[in-house]
Amino acid sequence: MTASQINIADFVSPSTCATPSTEDLARWQRGVLERTARQAVVAQGVEMTFGSGAVSSTVLQGVNLEIPYGEIQLLMGPSGSGKTTLLSILAGILTPTAGQVHLLGQEITGMSKEALANFRLNNIGFIFQGFNLFPALTAAENVEVALRMKGIRGKVAKQEAQDLLRQVGLGDRLTFLPRDLSGGQKQRVAIARALAGNPRLIMADEPTASLDSHSGHTVIELLRDLAKESNRTVLMVTHDPRLVDVADRVTHLEDGILVS
Amino acid sequence: MASIARKNLFEDIPRFLVAQAGIMFAVSLVTIQVGILDGFGRSTTRLIEQSDADLWVGAQEMLHLEVTLPIPLDRLLQARKVKGVQRAEALMNRTVVWLDSSDRIVPARVWGFNPEGQLFGQFKFVSGAIADVKQPYTFITDRSNLASLNLNQVNDVGRIVPFKAKLVGLTEYTQSMSSSASLFTSLENANAFGGGNSNSLNCVIQADQVQCLNPNGLAATALDQPQTPPRRLNPADPITYVLVKAEPGTDLQALKRDLEAALPGTRAHTKAEMTEITRTYWRERTGIGFILGLGATVGVVVGMVVVSQILYSSVSDHIKEFGTLKAMGASDWVIYRVITEQALWMAILGYIPSMALCLGLGVWTVAAKGIVILITPVTAIAILGVTVVMCVGSALFAIQKVTHVDPAIVFKA
Ligand SMILES: Nc1ncnc2c1ncn2[C@@H]1O[C@H](COP(=O)(O)OP(=O)(O)OP(=O)(O)O)[C@@H](O)[C@H]1O
Ligand SMILES: [Mg+2]
Repeated sequence: MTASQINIADFVSPSTCATPSTEDLARWQRGVLERTARQAVVAQGVEMTFGSGAVSSTVLQGVNLEIPYGEIQLLMGPSGSGKTTLLSILAGILTPTAGQVHLLGQEITGMSKEALANFRLNNIGFIFQGFNLFPALTAAENVEVALRMKGIRGKVAKQEAQDLLRQVGLGDRLTFLPRDLSGGQKQRVAIARALAGNPRLIMADEPTASLDSHSGHTVIELLRDLAKESNRTVLMVTHDPRLVDVADRVTHLEDGILVS
Repeated sequence: MASIARKNLFEDIPRFLVAQAGIMFAVSLVTIQVGILDGFGRSTTRLIEQSDADLWVGAQEMLHLEVTLPIPLDRLLQARKVKGVQRAEALMNRTVVWLDSSDRIVPARVWGFNPEGQLFGQFKFVSGAIADVKQPYTFITDRSNLASLNLNQVNDVGRIVPFKAKLVGLTEYTQSMSSSASLFTSLENANAFGGGNSNSLNCVIQADQVQCLNPNGLAATALDQPQTPPRRLNPADPITYVLVKAEPGTDLQALKRDLEAALPGTRAHTKAEMTEITRTYWRERTGIGFILGLGATVGVVVGMVVVSQILYSSVSDHIKEFGTLKAMGASDWVIYRVITEQALWMAILGYIPSMALCLGLGVWTVAAKGIVILITPVTAIAILGVTVVMCVGSALFAIQKVTHVDPAIVFKA
């Protein structure tokens, strides 16, 4: 399916249509609601071109993807195929050159920068290959920062940070600085941080790539348990074949096109 | 709650210390320059400020406190008759030459006043008392002048050429930084000291040759020999100012006009006007305001460069974490707040030790050099303001770096 084959009527606001009948309108509403009600993530005809003119390179070419609620979706593919780019677009960090993205029933392409930031804040937890923890903050404080951004403060935030770290098995490492934690432990702190505020979507880019096989395994199991426990939708970019076992669905990206 | 700003700041202690050293340098430089400027300005007008007079009446040609023409003592008597004058006292100012015990001369300035009066001489005494200058040929001076006059203590004797003169008291906060050593004494003593150095060569022409009794103008009197006491003043003797205390509730502007009308050749100034005229004169005449202002500006510039540099490198080190915050959905303001908070911490932590340092330095310079670094509460608060503006202003560089960071960098390993 390419972008031109999409049923545009599902995604165009009724006010832009010429005199829609009430029946059309109802059908339109039903269509959107049905699709987005079943799917946590819907990408339609997503294209991404970096640069312009002679130096431009098209990284994504009409990507369509749907991820149902509560599923763990894996995105695999060779290096440079555009996985991170697609993840960034699906997470509302990059704006695609063309196409639409719906998250949790809301269209995020076309949202203002501020609205988008707010959407990410309330709905998405991020996990990165490089952990991206504040080196000067303890494990608990790194989690608290995320909670504070989401409006949870003071004693409540402290307690919640401890609970989250306990959930990822780091109850005895609350006051450790990142430099005193192993890679796997750091990634678990990052997972606790991603879970702060209980977001419905988790976006992870190569969460196990920096880890040895043992800690990679711990992290994988943790991700699976946490996702399944609370019906979170997880989109994970990875090279790690071990992750295939925990995934509900696996999609491959090659040269900017999904092949599955 | 964990403060990212504070923790980032203390994360790299050596870098933090370099930053604080830079800020301390800047703050101290600004404080000292402003303090010296204030101290200098204040010192030039100390005698005016310490006086209880509401009005200063002097020759109409007056340039500032120390440069004016004499007026006759008779003006004092006339002033006492003007309605609204509660009290009037004479003040006399003469330049003299001080000759110390090792025959070195130093310019000095004698101030004669009424030791029984109320309008001048409310000094802070370190030793001696005001009444001591009623004795003939005595004086008191600021203790910061001891070294330049080559005196050690009260009761030491030197010469106010050609008279021998005895130090009977020491004061504090009475010396102007722009002026030669001020010697305070009674009107009669001042009149004698001040008239003494005219024609004191005492030379005559004898058989076509000039013969001088005291070739270098020094009286022959030995230091331990008695001198004829100074004579009483008469209404024709020259004084410098008539100090006036107005009756309570008197309109000073009206009284000024009445005094100027009643006392020919004079002009009256309120205490505030006198202070302003004198302070402005010294500031402009010496260019000290410009020079010290330049120093203070250099301090601020250096401070800004140091703080910008440190904040910028701190932010660059953490760009990925800031990007992460942005990716997670933090608004730019959350990040600005972190950087601004970091700048504020630097400001406060640089300011406090700098102020302590400057206050300590001020105590030392007064004691050792008689130089006042005046740090008033207003100055202290203003400098805190400058420090905060300096540090937060320097944060702008770092802030614009974070503003332009693309949250997509967070996925780069
Ligand atoms: N900001 C950008 N500007 C220009 N080109 C970019 C940019 N970001 C990514 N690309 C290009 O897009 C292509 C896909 O990059 P992307 O990072 O999405 O690949 P990836 O599949 O995540 O690879 P890897 O497995 O190595 O992480 C690459 O050729 C890359 O050079
Ligand atoms: Mg990648």
